[in-house]
Amino acid sequence: MARTSAPRPRSIPQTAGELLSPAVREVVRKRGFTTLSEAQEQAIPLLLQGKNLVLVAPTGTGKTESAMLPVFDRLCATPGPGFKAIYITPLRSLNRDILARMEWWCRELGLSAGVRHGDTPQNERRKQALNPPDLLITTPESLQALFMGKRLREHLKNVRYVVVDEIHELADSKRGAQLAVALERLAAYTRGFQRIGLSATVGNPDEIGRFLCGARAFSLVEVPVASHLEIGVRFAGEDFAAQTRAVGECLDAPGSTLVFVNTRVTAEALGHELYPRGDVEVHHGSLSRDVRVEAEERFRNGEIRTLIATSSMELGIDIGHIEHVIQFGSPRQVSRLVQRVGRAGHQLDAVSRGTVLAMGFDDLLESLVIARRAKANECERIVPPAGAADVLANQVAAIAVEYGEIEVSRVREIVERSGVFAGCGSLLDAVCRQMAEHRLIRLDGTRIVRTGRARRYLIENLSMIHDERKMEIFDIVSRRTVGTLDESFVLGWMHTGAVFITKGQLWQVLEIEGGRITVEPAARARGEVPSWEGEQIPVPFAVAREVGALRRTRAFSRYSDIPAAIRYAERFIARMDGGHYPVPSDRLITLEETDEGVVCNVCGGHKANEALARALSVLLSARYGTTVGIEVGAYRFLLRLPPTVRSLEVEETLATLEPAHLPGVLKLALKRTALFKWKLVQVAKKFGAIDADADYERFSIHRLIDLFDETVIAAEAYRELFSNSMDVDAAQEILLAVRDGRIAVTTGRLSPLGSEGLSSSRDMIPPPLVDQAVIGTLVRRLEKEDVILFCMHCRKWKSRTVVERVPDRPQCPLCNARLIAALKPWDEQFIPAMRKKEKTEEERAVEVRFLRNANIVLSSGKKAVTALAAKGVGPEAASRVLATLAEGDAFYREILKAERNYVKTHRFW
Amino acid sequence: MHLHFIESGPALLVEQDRRVLVVADLHMGIESGLERHGVHITSRSAARTARVVACIEETEPDLLLLLGDVKHNVPVTSRQEYRELPGILEVFRDRVPLAVAPGNHDGGIGRFLEPGELLPPGGAVIDGVGYLHGHTRPDPGLFGRLVVLGHHHPVVSLVDAVGCAARARPAYLYSGLEGGCEAETPPGSRTRLLFVPAFNEFAGGIDVGRLPESGLGPLSRCIDKKTAEVFLADGTYVGSPATLYPADGR
Repeated sequence: MARTSAPRPRSIPQTAGELLSPAVREVVRKRGFTTLSEAQEQAIPLLLQGKNLVLVAPTGTGKTESAMLPVFDRLCATPGPGFKAIYITPLRSLNRDILARMEWWCRELGLSAGVRHGDTPQNERRKQALNPPDLLITTPESLQALFMGKRLREHLKNVRYVVVDEIHELADSKRGAQLAVALERLAAYTRGFQRIGLSATVGNPDEIGRFLCGARAFSLVEVPVASHLEIGVRFAGEDFAAQTRAVGECLDAPGSTLVFVNTRVTAEALGHELYPRGDVEVHHGSLSRDVRVEAEERFRNGEIRTLIATSSMELGIDIGHIEHVIQFGSPRQVSRLVQRVGRAGHQLDAVSRGTVLAMGFDDLLESLVIARRAKANECERIVPPAGAADVLANQVAAIAVEYGEIEVSRVREIVERSGVFAGCGSLLDAVCRQMAEHRLIRLDGTRIVRTGRARRYLIENLSMIHDERKMEIFDIVSRRTVGTLDESFVLGWMHTGAVFITKGQLWQVLEIEGGRITVEPAARARGEVPSWEGEQIPVPFAVAREVGALRRTRAFSRYSDIPAAIRYAERFIARMDGGHYPVPSDRLITLEETDEGVVCNVCGGHKANEALARALSVLLSARYGTTVGIEVGAYRFLLRLPPTVRSLEVEETLATLEPAHLPGVLKLALKRTALFKWKLVQVAKKFGAIDADADYERFSIHRLIDLFDETVIAAEAYRELFSNSMDVDAAQEILLAVRDGRIAVTTGRLSPLGSEGLSSSRDMIPPPLVDQAVIGTLVRRLEKEDVILFCMHCRKWKSRTVVERVPDRPQCPLCNARLIAALKPWDEQFIPAMRKKEKTEEERAVEVRFLRNANIVLSSGKKAVTALAAKGVGPEAASRVLATLAEGDAFYREILKAERNYVKTHRFW
Repeated sequence: MHLHFIESGPALLVEQDRRVLVVADLHMGIESGLERHGVHITSRSAARTARVVACIEETEPDLLLLLGDVKHNVPVTSRQEYRELPGILEVFRDRVPLAVAPGNHDGGIGRFLEPGELLPPGGAVIDGVGYLHGHTRPDPGLFGRLVVLGHHHPVVSLVDAVGCAARARPAYLYSGLEGGCEAETPPGSRTRLLFVPAFNEFAGGIDVGRLPESGLGPLSRCIDKKTAEVFLADGTYVGSPATLYPADGR
């Protein structure tokens, strides 16, 4: 691999352009290119030599042309039928954009270009099948579909060049893993092809190369982005009105502005405030394609000067010149900031100008840290998913459909050539066995045979994106729809009686039917079940740790030269000092008590904190037999605990958590969570075990889910959660530092910093023993049980009450005796007889029973009253329960045993 | 009369002069039904049959009473059922005499049974106890007794101290009849209903709190909510629907 990342001097005699054929050079001239960009200068010679190449360069440095000029050069020289070059982008909108650019070049050079993706009309597809264009622009998913058609498959044989644009967007996802296998499937068809990846700045470009090329050699060209960036961080105030004012002020500057926000909701809210200016449009994924395209066009044409966008605008969609980029709130990741600010100053060699408007203490420090890292070129690393079992299943099914029948060894050869499944070992066999179980393939000795349902499965599962059916949440009280939930989430978690939170309110599930969850508001339940409202951008460990260091060193002026921002940060810290609150940092964890539980201030970032919070919650829930709720953010997490478990218990649990045990604990922790079940259903769907449109409503889906336990499906769900939702390594690092004292832990009351709020996922970790709920139910039932207290000494005092109001040592207010019988309501009829002098034999028997009852109460107090209130438990059974001397849960378990015994042996049915 | 709650079923042993093992809602063949609804799993009939056999071995009954919905697919009997049912029933017969109270999923079950095994659709009295699948009105002869029913798949979800509802689990609901329903009960006696949970592990369930309004069978409307009692699969008494589901302050 040749690394040529240092910029080359421009004065070398032969420029790359001269290597191109005269025809291409003529068109380049016609296009008005007088000089080639740095990226083009470096990439073109390597590509003309036929090398595989990863080109890492900022947006707007002519990356597409860097790749395509040499490809055009060669295409002109190799006439013939079929697709000859395939250009893959992650987005349809990007496809359209690339097509518009490529059509001009192709026309000039006498080549043909076409686009094919989900929106491509049928007649256009037919035309491509009959008369394939030289250059096909497509998405990874449509590439999958190309393998399914016989005629199209023929055309694929001629592919010589594959370009993957915005490859960093694909490389760390299952979409990318699927694409990597697709390229190997393609390689098995063709005489081999040149691979070209175009990437934005990442921390580890070599990994992108391995992702694209597997074990094949590749070259790397890197054009550093940092020198082109000019990033400022301003403090925009803590309330939304001040923040929008700050955006407005930025927009008053001349030129066009792109405003990036982190969520669609924010995009809408900000848009709403700024619309009255008349020069603003909103652009995000929930808007229809037409609305988005129109906004893009109006911006390009200069009709509006401002576009408010989510990550939908990060990629290279051409919307003309952008003077300035505003990031509303912390960008959360360095690579996001680089990518977003890189959209500004769209001319070669121009400087990109961006401003981050920070909104609070955490947000400000995070923005400062991310800005510093961006300027230092410290982007996040990309980690392609290795050994994703559901992707493998999907591709095995695709290969089975493609070939009809194929040797397992041949499949192994194909998939193992890709970087993401290199050396996948026994995984392939496990996956095949599981698929055979669902009859997605048939195993015939060493051969894989296509089944009847495989084709249908494939059509429904061309994409690894979880295209979730949304289920409507219908409030039966107000008779309106209050929101939607992901179907997989509903399947994995919801059941009649479940309580969950959405739109900031608690709901109880009444019924799940007809794609709809009928709910009613739940007023009393204290627990919360998560509402999964999309996945948030997680703050990485490295950023959170540096924020912690900045809190500790308070060297704000080293990060910022804006007095207002520095002043705000210093004032916030002064408030902490003034209240004698220790400031949590990279070297200090503080555990703060609130009414709801314990806030753990840990500078770990979302994923490490997620791992720590889940591990702690499962340990606490096991140790104290209670459900523990969690809410996780980048700098703190809340453990929702009953009042009996406090910060000292959390501290002890944290201190005794062995770093090496963390993965095991987490596996245990995840198993019982909504998150895991949600993932499990998603993976099961991609495995073909559950159809995309399954009508599961009449079945007990959670029992079905149990069937996937211990299978490769569950293993994949764990693998994905461990690598995507959590940072187990970072969490272990934190635990290790706690162990050897590099990170100190203190407890205390809630500080201003601890109450800064949480912004991420919530979940509930139920206790491991299900009988907790049974015991809880018993305790509540017995507390409410009616009881008659009757003094067997003076036989005058009688009181009707409920168990929970009985004092620990019942005493007669008339004679002060403690010989009190705790009677069931229907015993009240015998009380007059107890006051008689002359008693019948029957009444004397009752008297004996009452005296035994009172004697137990005399010796055991309220505990005896509780036991005597149980169903079918008389003095004998109660003394047996009390004789065990069991306390707490064990005591209640004895009562349950006595009740069960009564039901079995004495009960009249 | 003693009732034994067999947790590993869930199944019920009714012990009087005879020992009757009651297994409700087996739904053999449910996998082919699931397949039609987009869930693909291999047949679990063998494992389910083994569970029934384990219950037989544990309780040594004089009679195995399948309380309806022995098979799953309606209106047509699936290939899976044709293939599997004869063998499954033979496994039972080898160990204990068999009776089947036909359920709404049991159309055509007769072809798999031997003479005398099929009970009338209106229910039957065995050893003084009434047995009925529960989708039809009971025979008048069942009133005034303990009536054991399937069909309703009762489950209960319990809530722990933090308010987290544990997943619903199989449950028994025991109750007297409400006012109007008592009309047919002979004077001096009382009709008691015992709703038995489904044996099939995939059959969904109706929460005991919602059973009376479910309208699932004619007798579900007769549940006397005030006296009703709920038991878990192992016979643990958990309370009445009223205490399990307090009005929630609404």
